[in-house]
Amino acid sequence: MAPIIEVTGLSKTYRVFRKKDGLKGAVQGLFKREYKMVEAVGDVSFTIEPGEFVAFLGPNGAGKTTTLKMLSGLIYPSRGDARVLGFTPWERKDAFRRQFSLVMGQKNQLWWDLPAADSFELHKEIYGIPERQFRETLEELTSLLGVADLTRQAVRELSLGERMKMELIAALLHRPKVLLLDEPTIGLDVVAQVAIQKCLRDYHTRHNVTVLLTSHYMRDIEALCRRVLVITHGKLVYDGELAGIRDTFGQEKILRIEFPAEEPPPDLSPYGQVHGVDGPTVDLRVDRPRVAETLSAVLARYTIVDVSVQDPPLEQLITKVFEQGKATV
Amino acid sequence: MSTTIETTGEPITGGDLGWRRYPRLYGRLGLFTLVRELSFRGNFLVKMSVEILWLGIMLAFYETVFARTDLVAGWAKQDYLFFVGCYFALNGMIETLFLENCNEFSNLVRTGDLDFLLLKPIDEQFLITCRRVDWSVAPNVFMGLGVMAMALWNKGWDFDLPRVVLFGLTFACGVAISYAFMLVLTSFSVWLVRNQSLMEMWWLFSSLARFPREIFQRGWAVSLDVVFTYILPILLVVNVPSRVMVKLLEPRMIAFIAIVTIVSLQVSRMFFQRALRSYRSASS
Amino acid sequence: MSYVAEPPRFDLEEPAPAPAPGGDLVPGSLWRKYYRVWRVSLAERMTYRGDFLLGTFLRFLPMITTILLWQAIYEGSGQSSLAGFTYNEMIAYLLLVHISRMFSSMPGLAAGIAREIRDGTLKKYLIQPLDLLGYLIAYRAAHKMTYIVTAAIPYGIIFFLCRGFFDTLPSGPVFLAYLVSLILAFLIGFYFEAAVGMVGFWFLEVTSVLYIVMTLNYFISGQMLPLDLLPPFWVGVLKALPFQYMAYFPAVVFLGKVQGPDLVWGLGIEAFWALFFAVLARVLYARGLKRYGAYGG
Repeated sequence: MAPIIEVTGLSKTYRVFRKKDGLKGAVQGLFKREYKMVEAVGDVSFTIEPGEFVAFLGPNGAGKTTTLKMLSGLIYPSRGDARVLGFTPWERKDAFRRQFSLVMGQKNQLWWDLPAADSFELHKEIYGIPERQFRETLEELTSLLGVADLTRQAVRELSLGERMKMELIAALLHRPKVLLLDEPTIGLDVVAQVAIQKCLRDYHTRHNVTVLLTSHYMRDIEALCRRVLVITHGKLVYDGELAGIRDTFGQEKILRIEFPAEEPPPDLSPYGQVHGVDGPTVDLRVDRPRVAETLSAVLARYTIVDVSVQDPPLEQLITKVFEQGKATV
Repeated sequence: MSTTIETTGEPITGGDLGWRRYPRLYGRLGLFTLVRELSFRGNFLVKMSVEILWLGIMLAFYETVFARTDLVAGWAKQDYLFFVGCYFALNGMIETLFLENCNEFSNLVRTGDLDFLLLKPIDEQFLITCRRVDWSVAPNVFMGLGVMAMALWNKGWDFDLPRVVLFGLTFACGVAISYAFMLVLTSFSVWLVRNQSLMEMWWLFSSLARFPREIFQRGWAVSLDVVFTYILPILLVVNVPSRVMVKLLEPRMIAFIAIVTIVSLQVSRMFFQRALRSYRSASS
Repeated sequence: MSYVAEPPRFDLEEPAPAPAPGGDLVPGSLWRKYYRVWRVSLAERMTYRGDFLLGTFLRFLPMITTILLWQAIYEGSGQSSLAGFTYNEMIAYLLLVHISRMFSSMPGLAAGIAREIRDGTLKKYLIQPLDLLGYLIAYRAAHKMTYIVTAAIPYGIIFFLCRGFFDTLPSGPVFLAYLVSLILAFLIGFYFEAAVGMVGFWFLEVTSVLYIVMTLNYFISGQMLPLDLLPPFWVGVLKALPFQYMAYFPAVVFLGKVQGPDLVWGLGIEAFWALFFAVLARVLYARGLKRYGAYGG
């Protein structure tokens, strides 16, 4: 079976203008502008088979959104090629646009002051969805997300979570073959996050839609995807199973120990790698198998106010993956 | 119609991707926006009152001037009244159908929400310029028609069907040319950051259209007449339909405005596409 | 150099603390504030470079059509003077009206007050001994000065190009009277709109009414044509109203159409209206604030 998404050497470089300070700089800006080139995406290649549920992982500004927008045809690449559903995205043929959806977290594409139901009606006209199929899909989705009674309310009156659900419905009404999601659960409370994750999972299982999801929350990824593409600084640094990353990342934990505030905290370097000290709080990096024994040793020796066991932050993980050069592409 | 990729997931069968979508879609958009505007009744009434006031002011100005003279730039009192009505109706048309949307375009560019409109499998120019109908200004068209009718009545005009038809056609041309201008101005929002001067520019261009062409046809202003008739043909927009109705028929002018309509619609569309392409290569 | 515009580094004062009660209105700090507002506004206007140049150029266009239109009107009438205005005087008047408006227009003032009432930010004036009207008038004055400075060049060019329309320039005392009338126009414009804004304490939808009033004002203040052109009955009515001082009156003072005792009388009435609206705004503010406090904002 041919891949549904094929990306080869995709790159995007921008000109960023420098603004100088103050009055003199502003006047100079009227006549001459300096700029520098910024590479948002650099030589990214990957393929995705139909029905896959793939995650795009990376810190902010890594190039995930830019890549997604190129796959949607919104942005022209500077170099490289991409095929989605057999089309070149940036040619933006109607037949292509009919078969995919892009959803962006915290951004609204529904008509703001109309009820969601009206937006869906307009959607139906735009995408040319036959009436019967429209009704069926709408019912399926509203019951999946539990918002059937909210569709007649103006979108602007809905909560952020409810709005995202409506966005999702609008994205799936025309039964796209490819679904691109850019941080869909950002800013949402946990309940809404879980509801959306569940909907995506169910829909994916039912209709086998190909999904590409970007996020910088591990939780989204863990709930939904097996395959992960890691991007940092515009470069693809990892393409493989989620489990592979977990192995890399699951090996260490961070112990955050808070000592009483009256004195400076003790030196914990005998117990592990001191990751950071912030007032009375010490972050200690410890290998996972040794967490329990380290903790009991510290507890035995000192009085502590609070302790928590955390995963190292994502940026660290990415940097580590990058350093270890684990590119499988 | 289906793609060459063999994928799972039911493709859309049946339905309509043809041109008939557009009028249907437009009908819905019009209906939805009307319902919404009527729900804010107070606001609707206020906007309408302001528009009525505007017409009143224009008519007061007109009456004051014609109390002291019988002829302005070769236009007699009732002919000039017709001109005023024609301007008001045409401006009303543009404001009802397009102004709000073009105004919003710069916000769409700034926030990046324009992306969503570009994703839809429908012509972007249609979606962007026709998204909303500003019903509160719609009465202007009827008020303008009323003023025009009154002017004709005062003149003792005999009903002349060919004239009316020609007027209708040239009026539509005027609307189209104004639309083209507005589209070009809107396109600039992609490159200019602020919206303010865009609307100022529209106000200025429309203030050119507000007066009979004859005021430019003397002395140093002749160069302006040439520029704004043949290069940026804003002067045609109200002048030609009004002349068609109340002055001698000039076939050359009618043919000219028809050609200008077609050319300006094409040019503006190309310019708009160019602007969108620029937006897309710069957006991130 | 940075990638984000920072405020100008050339400051006359050390980092400002939070405004002390009444501290904003101490003259010294007021001038420093004006200076800062001026510098930032100027820089702000220039950072939108395409905008600035285009807007400047396009201010010329309406005057051209106005000049041509009135030329056609005068020719059509066959008279050299309409309601006491020659063609030159007419054009000069229409140019001067722009200057009057520069002083008397207060965009967004009433709407801003109404908004603050509506969303409750006015509460702080209940708690702190800050004076809303005092603050607003200082802010507007500073803003006006900025605007006048930035508009000085394009307007200077226009007036220079149109100098032919000004047959006579006012004598010293008349010019002084003109300046006084402009400052009074500023006060009338400010306190009138402030008073309308204050009505927002009682009627939330006051901005709609304002919209209608300001549209009407465009005509009755004489911005479209000199009030003298209207039928005598209307001239009488409109000259009794305060709106003429926002555009018409200063312009005709400059043109020398109001002389001697009439001029003194006119300025007196203008001062009266300024005082009237100032008092009205104050009274409405005090009453409104009390009511606001009673309802808990």
